[in-house]
Amino acid sequence: MTPFSRILRTDWFGPLIIVILAVVVIRAFSPQFLSPLNIQVLLLAIAVNALIAYAQMMIIAIGQMNLSVGAIGGLAAISFAGMMEVWGIPAPLAAALALLIGLLCGFVNGVMIAVTGISAFVITLATLAIYKGINLGITEAQPFYGIPANVKAFGNGSLFNLIPLIALPTLVAAVGLWFLLFRLPAGRFILAVGGNEHAAQLSGIKVGRTITLAHAISGFLAAGAGILVVARVQVGQPSIGDDWLILSFAAPVIGGAILTGGHVSVAATTLGVVIVALITQALVLFNIDPFLVQVVMGGLILVAVGINRLRETRMQALKRSV
Amino acid sequence: MTDFARRIAAASLLSLGLAGAASAESDSMIALVPGGPNPYFTAWEQAGVDAAAEFGLAASDFKVPQKWELSQQNQLLESLLSQGYNGFLIFPGDPVGSISIAEELVANDAQVIAGAGCFQDPSPAAFCLGTDTGNSAYLGMQALVKSFGEEAKGKKVAHFTGFLVDPNTQLRIDAVKKAADEAGIEIVQVIADIDAPEPAEEKINAYLAAHAGNIDGIITTAWVPSVVSANALRKIGDKRIHMVGIDHDEVVLQAVRDGFVHGTMIQNPYGQAWLGSFALDKLRSGCTVKEDAPFIANALTTKFIDSGTALIDASNVDGYVDVMREQTAKIYDGFEASYLSCN
Repeated sequence: MTPFSRILRTDWFGPLIIVILAVVVIRAFSPQFLSPLNIQVLLLAIAVNALIAYAQMMIIAIGQMNLSVGAIGGLAAISFAGMMEVWGIPAPLAAALALLIGLLCGFVNGVMIAVTGISAFVITLATLAIYKGINLGITEAQPFYGIPANVKAFGNGSLFNLIPLIALPTLVAAVGLWFLLFRLPAGRFILAVGGNEHAAQLSGIKVGRTITLAHAISGFLAAGAGILVVARVQVGQPSIGDDWLILSFAAPVIGGAILTGGHVSVAATTLGVVIVALITQALVLFNIDPFLVQVVMGGLILVAVGINRLRETRMQALKRSV
Repeated sequence: MTDFARRIAAASLLSLGLAGAASAESDSMIALVPGGPNPYFTAWEQAGVDAAAEFGLAASDFKVPQKWELSQQNQLLESLLSQGYNGFLIFPGDPVGSISIAEELVANDAQVIAGAGCFQDPSPAAFCLGTDTGNSAYLGMQALVKSFGEEAKGKKVAHFTGFLVDPNTQLRIDAVKKAADEAGIEIVQVIADIDAPEPAEEKINAYLAAHAGNIDGIITTAWVPSVVSANALRKIGDKRIHMVGIDHDEVVLQAVRDGFVHGTMIQNPYGQAWLGSFALDKLRSGCTVKEDAPFIANALTTKFIDSGTALIDASNVDGYVDVMREQTAKIYDGFEASYLSCN
């Protein structure tokens, strides 16, 4: 197999081509699209959305779904902001505690699924309500405004006036996830459980423990996204996380993830996030009628998924003919 | 906690003490029920406490459904009815869908008023007490026009607004356009459905990154877009772009103080709940709504009372709570004589 055909078979190749095409088309119609400020805005959106997508990707990897991603992110976000405002806890410690809360929420999801055997859909539907309820109980729908200057500086800061500082944790998370999934036994176990739970169990993999681990990581990533949103928005809004669900599935699916589990790609999921961000930006830049935005957005996501699926089908046909 | 929140908390404690000291003169138990959690309604809680103390009500309690879902609001209302509440100020989760629950409440001898949003006529609600959203947007746009001075004609303005499913959004879009057309200003783009922090951040920042140099002003007619736009202008450091926002979020008020935002159109949620509690108690005590009451008609009802709106700018930003109270006092004076018939 030549290096080119190997690249052609990767999950990220199709989304990458879509990204390149989209950038060229949008740039042709909007000269400001590739301005440093706009690239920064784009990277800001990608940084947060990628963590949200990774949180769902980890659960898709084990063949399940997590409906509570947004609720965990929102709870971590208001915890982070609230701890700083009400108790005056320093930002790094508050962030660590908020991440711990996310990890704990995910752990609780995982343990309940593993112990009871009830579908992840049902369990996370219930915990979505619980985590959101705790959020509203704490905030009473009132935002936390006391975000310290160093958190605001982090949310507004950039490297070389181009790369937002909040993209750095996402980068670390992406590399870490890739390493976990494809270089460490724990990651292999996650993919094995997603591919065939029964076979994984017969191979000696502790399925319950693996499911719990995946959910704990998912909660941790969702909490990270919540913290980044607070740094970016500079307010601890109780509504953070409310509309993460569709994006969390869209990006991994555009990136070729198989919803039944066992197959995900960090790079392709990241490119899925980039595609959604490009579509969102394009709709703003091209002044699409606000009442048609959702229709166009949905249509373009379908096109992106379709192109990637077409590439996969062609590759499979090619493989069979060889 | 913000200064405003501290003041509210202190006032709450004081009021609770007073309420505890005074025995209730009325058996009215009022429930103030929004459609779901939103910072806009926070002022309802304090207004209820104040109204209970002022009018000697048995209670005027703020009760929030956990989610913006009609079914959750309906369940909460039924539960409150069974707990003995007999007067309801309701933000209808749906102008038509909420009518059946209002009918159920009235059938059980409770009084109902719509607050902040209206039921679609015909409904059993005595009347609707809320912001004339179209008028507020119109006045906000006029304030923006005024901020441009004599060179307003030909300016370009972007409009950022809230949920498209909210019928008020279209009213706001139309009102802003009307005021802009009258002044010869072009609304270059309307970005809607951004009443959540993440999409608002993404879309407003993307818009400003591409078009900040091409616009002269921003008008926002929803809570979150106002907050995000105020932050974005602060981040860009651009005081050339004039902005008029909506509501009294601390971020927006601080941006007004710092000169990044020209002004914000406050609504009067406090007055809605305070006057609503008063009116519900009156209706329970035998008053009826006057047939010739000077109601305003809007898209949903012919029994609308404007709870008031006002521009808060650098000159009055530190006294905006007083502005709300003044508006409330203004409507309260003569409210009974104008709208109610009491023997």
